[in-house]
Amino acid sequence: MAWGGGWGGAGGAMFGASQQTGLPFGGIPSELMVEATKLMATEPVHEPSAISFHQRPNAKERERLTLPRMLKVYPGWVVGGSVLVILTSLILQAGPLLTEFAINHGMIEGHRSLRVILICSVLYLAFAVSGAFLQRQQVEVTGKLASRVMHDLRIRVFVHFQRLSLDYFTDEKAGVLMSRMTSDVENLQQLVQDGISSFAAQGLTMIVITAILFSTNVVLAAWTVLLIVPLLFGFTLWYHHASEKGYLLSRDRIANVLADLSESLYGIRVVTANNRQKRNIRNHRHVVGAYRDANIYTGRVNAIYGPSTNMIGIFGSALLLGIGGHMVLEHQLSIGALVAFFLYLNRFFAPIQLLVQQYTTLQQGRSSVIRLREVLQTPPSVDERDDASELPTIEGRITFENVSFGYSPDNLVLHDVNLEIAPGESVAFVGPTGAGKSTMAKLANRFYDPTSGRILLDGIDIRTVTLRSLRSQLGVVPQEAFLFAGSIRTNLSFGRTGITDEEIEEAIDVVGLRDLVERLPEGIDTIVHERGQTLSAGERQLLALARAFLARPRVLILDEATSSLDLQSETVIEKALDRLLEGRSAILIAHRLTTAQRADRIVVIDRGGIVEVGTPHELLARGGAYAAMYQAWIESGGRDATRTS
Amino acid sequence: MAASLSTGTSHVPEQIRSNPLGGIRSKYKGPRARISRDQNLTWWRRIMPIIASHRLTFFTAIGLSFVSLVFQTLVPNMLNHAVTGIETHSAGLHGEVLRILLVGLAAGVTGIISRQYVYYTAYNVEADLRSLIYEHLTWLSFSFYDRVQSGQLISRANSDIRSVQMYSTFAPLIMVQCSIGVIAFAFMLSIDAWLALIALSIMPAMYFIGIRMRRALFPISWITQARLADVATIVDENINGVRVVKSFAQEEAEINRLADAAERVAWAYVKDAEFRGKWSPWVQNLPQVGLALVLFFGGWMVLDGHLGIGAIFAFNAYLLMLQAPFMMLGQLVMMGQRAKASAERIFEVLDESPEIVDRPGAFDLENVKGVLDFNHVRFEYENGAEILTDFDAHVAAGETVAIVGRTGSGKSTIARLITRFYDVADGSVCIDGTDVRDATLASLRANVGVVLDEPFLFSISISDNIAYGKPDATIEEVEAAARAANAHEFIERLPEGYDTVIGERGYTLSGGQRQRIAIARTLLVNPPILVLDDATSAIDVHVEAGIYEALRELLVQRTTIVIAHRISTIALASRVILLDEGRVIASGTHEELLATSPLYSEILAQTTRADD
Repeated sequence: MAWGGGWGGAGGAMFGASQQTGLPFGGIPSELMVEATKLMATEPVHEPSAISFHQRPNAKERERLTLPRMLKVYPGWVVGGSVLVILTSLILQAGPLLTEFAINHGMIEGHRSLRVILICSVLYLAFAVSGAFLQRQQVEVTGKLASRVMHDLRIRVFVHFQRLSLDYFTDEKAGVLMSRMTSDVENLQQLVQDGISSFAAQGLTMIVITAILFSTNVVLAAWTVLLIVPLLFGFTLWYHHASEKGYLLSRDRIANVLADLSESLYGIRVVTANNRQKRNIRNHRHVVGAYRDANIYTGRVNAIYGPSTNMIGIFGSALLLGIGGHMVLEHQLSIGALVAFFLYLNRFFAPIQLLVQQYTTLQQGRSSVIRLREVLQTPPSVDERDDASELPTIEGRITFENVSFGYSPDNLVLHDVNLEIAPGESVAFVGPTGAGKSTMAKLANRFYDPTSGRILLDGIDIRTVTLRSLRSQLGVVPQEAFLFAGSIRTNLSFGRTGITDEEIEEAIDVVGLRDLVERLPEGIDTIVHERGQTLSAGERQLLALARAFLARPRVLILDEATSSLDLQSETVIEKALDRLLEGRSAILIAHRLTTAQRADRIVVIDRGGIVEVGTPHELLARGGAYAAMYQAWIESGGRDATRTS
Repeated sequence: MAASLSTGTSHVPEQIRSNPLGGIRSKYKGPRARISRDQNLTWWRRIMPIIASHRLTFFTAIGLSFVSLVFQTLVPNMLNHAVTGIETHSAGLHGEVLRILLVGLAAGVTGIISRQYVYYTAYNVEADLRSLIYEHLTWLSFSFYDRVQSGQLISRANSDIRSVQMYSTFAPLIMVQCSIGVIAFAFMLSIDAWLALIALSIMPAMYFIGIRMRRALFPISWITQARLADVATIVDENINGVRVVKSFAQEEAEINRLADAAERVAWAYVKDAEFRGKWSPWVQNLPQVGLALVLFFGGWMVLDGHLGIGAIFAFNAYLLMLQAPFMMLGQLVMMGQRAKASAERIFEVLDESPEIVDRPGAFDLENVKGVLDFNHVRFEYENGAEILTDFDAHVAAGETVAIVGRTGSGKSTIARLITRFYDVADGSVCIDGTDVRDATLASLRANVGVVLDEPFLFSISISDNIAYGKPDATIEEVEAAARAANAHEFIERLPEGYDTVIGERGYTLSGGQRQRIAIARTLLVNPPILVLDDATSAIDVHVEAGIYEALRELLVQRTTIVIAHRISTIALASRVILLDEGRVIASGTHEELLATSPLYSEILAQTTRADD
């Protein structure tokens, strides 16, 4: 695949796409270059990914997205990480114990011993060093775990994006989709990295210390559990609900912020041309403000939860002091036992504080999991059947059979359309804008499915075949020529693997882009991207055409693909089409009737139905709708194609 | 989103309407300060003006956290005191319990309030940064957008602001926690100066390790953020180019492209963990070394009789107090480096200055008659070839001129120069004899209406789209503009008429429908100079004729530049300017040019096509 080749290639510094494409803002600032290069020299050459895409998700991909499921793919690291976390937190407990021991057995009157003190100190040191060592392992293991889990998640969400149908992308704002793939996934990083394993460790510590508390004094321990646990539990339950609401809100609002930003970036020309800057800035402040408010709300919930649990701990201690004190005064308890109990009580509260902190991270991550789960559970509206077969190489017979369609069910755009296009035949769809011409093209390559009726290719219902085998045989050139950031070369070789340089050069000649390529300083290696103005609208359309030519589809669909071309370029394209269409079926959607005149047959579409069908000759002779359109075309100065054909 | 806010709540997503926080209208007023322009300052000094603009809440947060912390540290002593009290059977257990309850309450309340202020400040700083980035991007010139992919910008406004925000929430809390260390050290000094110094003998090592850790983490933080941006860019392209990906069935290739980028992110994260693993355990465990030293030397001193056991207990307690802040210190350094890398990536955007701005002393264009002059204009795009070499033309007020030329000859560029989307490299463009560079941008663009060749629509209602340039337009004005653009009829046929919300980028409409809305959008502004840049390419002749019928009436008193390929469109003009190789080749009526210019006939393919 030409796309990956550039960056995965010969070892050296690989900063990523933008660096490769030569665009600014993708790389490393010069002052960091030396260190960054040194660092990246240690990066192994990653194997190019070889994920195969299937429209139908397998059983694993169909599973509900949950944190445990994401983690259990890496049982070794999860177990290893948890063991290491537990060990490090145990080692941390050793210090105070050694100190106590040294005081009791080395310093107190009658037990003085420098040897004991020395041994304890050395042990303490040893524990500290081994603690550091274990911690290092732990950080590395959990870091690896987090990076793999995030990697899996990114791919899983992206794969699902690719499965989703076009309607999803028109209904959902681009910024929202963007935030799912970026901020929601990144949101989970912290949780997986530090959260989960220490969550387990703190929980475990609490259980151990509770056991110790009970072994010290059952009555007081029971009181502790009775006083603190229900309160803490109830409070946590409140927090769970309140923070979930807040975090979900904040996820949605950050998505709105990104959607607004992204739309403004893409529409910057319209914004500027209409002097809308100030107003848009004000609007964006509201969107940002709404996000801020959601954040402040969750901040408030967090601010209440943390210190309050701490307060519950202090209250509990005070009450236990009262109860324990009474017991001592009533001689039910020795003072020594009370002192010992309080010593451990402090250790009981410490992990609670840490648990509270982790819980906050967990809640934040959970909100992202919920949002991501929603995306993953959205079924594509155009999907493959489970028993979908590969569409064999087709001859190119296209049949519309009683096809009706509406973008919304109550508003049909096409009504009961019947049409058959023979193999190798080129058919022009003409008619007023919004009549449904493009819609028919979109149905043919299954961007949408008909509301009723069916579409057949070589007699096979297109819903029974795999999307890939269908679309790889249909080449659609839309009106807006989207270019990916990259060189002209990579953009041209997008449609098919294994396109040679000779083929590219040939395609450039065929569509008449030779002049342009020669004018550009770097020829076909010139970097283009979606909004760049290096190319004019017409040149972009020519590139899109060349891209489709190179894909060598069996059926070609040109959807207003030449609208921005000057007539001369269009003439070139027409000639190219003559060559390209040899042995291929084609649907040409055009307002310029000169193009239509060259087709084998013309289909006049109006208000969602076929009004007339016939060869250009027949239709002109018939004096119907097409003849009238053609007359208007000529009168308005259109190039008269009948003179030469 | 943006404009739907102005039309009430109808497009506000469900979850926002039914939220517990009230309506979407936020009290947020926008940033009160900007970052420092001085690029030599460290990142936090550059960001300081923004934090300073929230100093009241910031210092309240810090102050109250400290108070809360002091209350918290009182509790263990009070408990010990009470237990000793029980031991000696001195009365007043209830009093002790009550006092602890009160201190606990004070610690809790101050803690809650202080954290609220911490979050409040941090989220306001974040909102300020987001607004600043958006504002800045709004004013940047097109040449910037020609260079930079939006995925890059979105990533900076997302991941990078996030990491700065995380740090600005976390850092103040930790710093307050660390301030407890100062108190603890003071107590230690008062007990025994030597032992205190031994306990803190680890500090130089801590400092040294901290520096090393920062140095190691900064480059990898940058690499991580840059690679996250690469992922964002691929996602952005796949969302916007979804039709192309699907048409060519290239999903698998795109997935692998993303997977490769994600693999590089994963490596950066692993590397980052490696560095953290290398340094942060030392930061966290060095205090333990201090404790071990205190145990040994303190014990020795006890044996020598220089020190009481109580002092050792106290020392131990204070050193333990230091443990938690030190444990977080490692994380603080890590987050700090990530925030630094992110902040500098944000500054990169904010430091881009708009190339096209009002000149000092620029004045508003008023009562524009519409005389257009292009004086020996030369122009080239960055990284591109020279587009205009010596373009020289005069357009009289009220005249309609068509510009004709081959694909890529620079016709659209001329439109972009009139509105100063770009500035000429040489020569000048003048309106009524005034160089457009001497006029304010706002007045210039209000007087020149351009219908761009890409009919970009926003995902807001159709009426909002048409009124985009004049948001206070009445519905009658909107409808009149739509009628003139021949769009009224199809809009009325839509289920919700003018209130129909257009899907992302307007893709639910056909190309011709979008172009008509774009024309209506410009017509509504009613500018004295109108530029139609191939604005009807996807509209069928029939409808086009209708539009021109309406335009003809509208164009009478208005200077109009028409860029088109169709003869029907050119017919609208009283004069045609033929453009080739960056300059005017010929000028005259359509018939004159047909008769005199072979190139013109060739471009319009009006030759007899003998070659065919």
